[in-house]
Amino acid sequence: MQRTNPVSFDTLKRGFLSGVNITWKLAKIMVPIYFVVTILKYTPIINWISKAFAPLMKLFGLPGKAAIVLVIGNCVNLYAAIGAMASLDLTLKEIYILAIMLSFCHSLIVETTIAKKIGLSAINVILVRVSLAVVSGMALNLLL
Amino acid sequence: MTNILAEAAVGSFNSVKEIAFIVIPIMIAMEFLKDIGVLDKLTQLFSPLVKIYGMKKEAGFPLVIGIVIGLSYGAGFIFQAAEEDKLSRRDLYLLTYFLVAAHAVFEDTAIFMAFGVNGIFLFVARLGVAAFFTYLASRWIKPEDTDLEKMR
Repeated sequence: MQRTNPVSFDTLKRGFLSGVNITWKLAKIMVPIYFVVTILKYTPIINWISKAFAPLMKLFGLPGKAAIVLVIGNCVNLYAAIGAMASLDLTLKEIYILAIMLSFCHSLIVETTIAKKIGLSAINVILVRVSLAVVSGMALNLLL
Repeated sequence: MTNILAEAAVGSFNSVKEIAFIVIPIMIAMEFLKDIGVLDKLTQLFSPLVKIYGMKKEAGFPLVIGIVIGLSYGAGFIFQAAEEDKLSRRDLYLLTYFLVAAHAVFEDTAIFMAFGVNGIFLFVARLGVAAFFTYLASRWIKPEDTDLEKMR
């Protein structure tokens, strides 16, 4: 594989297209999730979710509704989590905690499949990532 | 109901816009860095770490690719290196541990920066924790270890 190219207009073009591509991929997933969660906010369902997950989310200094972001991020992907996160009214501290937790642990279905192909067991990979997310979330809650 | 839909439309549009303003410049910067050979330099920068883990030096490039570009790209290079018999099974496992915790760090960090998160903090925290965890794993899985069950 060729590892270096001369820097040219092509570099700028590739970077721009890659950025646009990421934004487009993100928008396709993020916007529908944003709509769903915004509508959810005006239904009683959000209160049920908030109440049910409040004790668990309290460990990380997060409101119960933040569980939606973590579940969507792990079952779908980071882009979907961002959509949910943007539509909920969260404080900056809560966003920091979600950002660090999601950084370590997201897209579990797709990414665990990749790790499995290399040879690690699924349970092992999921356990490591969930533990990193839980520990970092709790630590950040205490630090901030 | 119209109010709710309008709120969602405006809110999601603004979020996407903010993300685009951060992600596009960062991806342009990344292409420049790639073209001036930063991936190779980063590989050299990571070589002491690769050594600490007791991995072969060939593990450095797939590690950097995974960290910078993403898990699936990284995995592609890991497979390639493995097929050419450059990596041991232990190297494969340690690389995967590092990369499941930290991959595509520029893209992911850029997205969260759009929400006001400090990029350097997130970047350092993620790489630091991944590096430390992989270190612990490298102590647990001994180089002479052939007990694959223990690694899995």
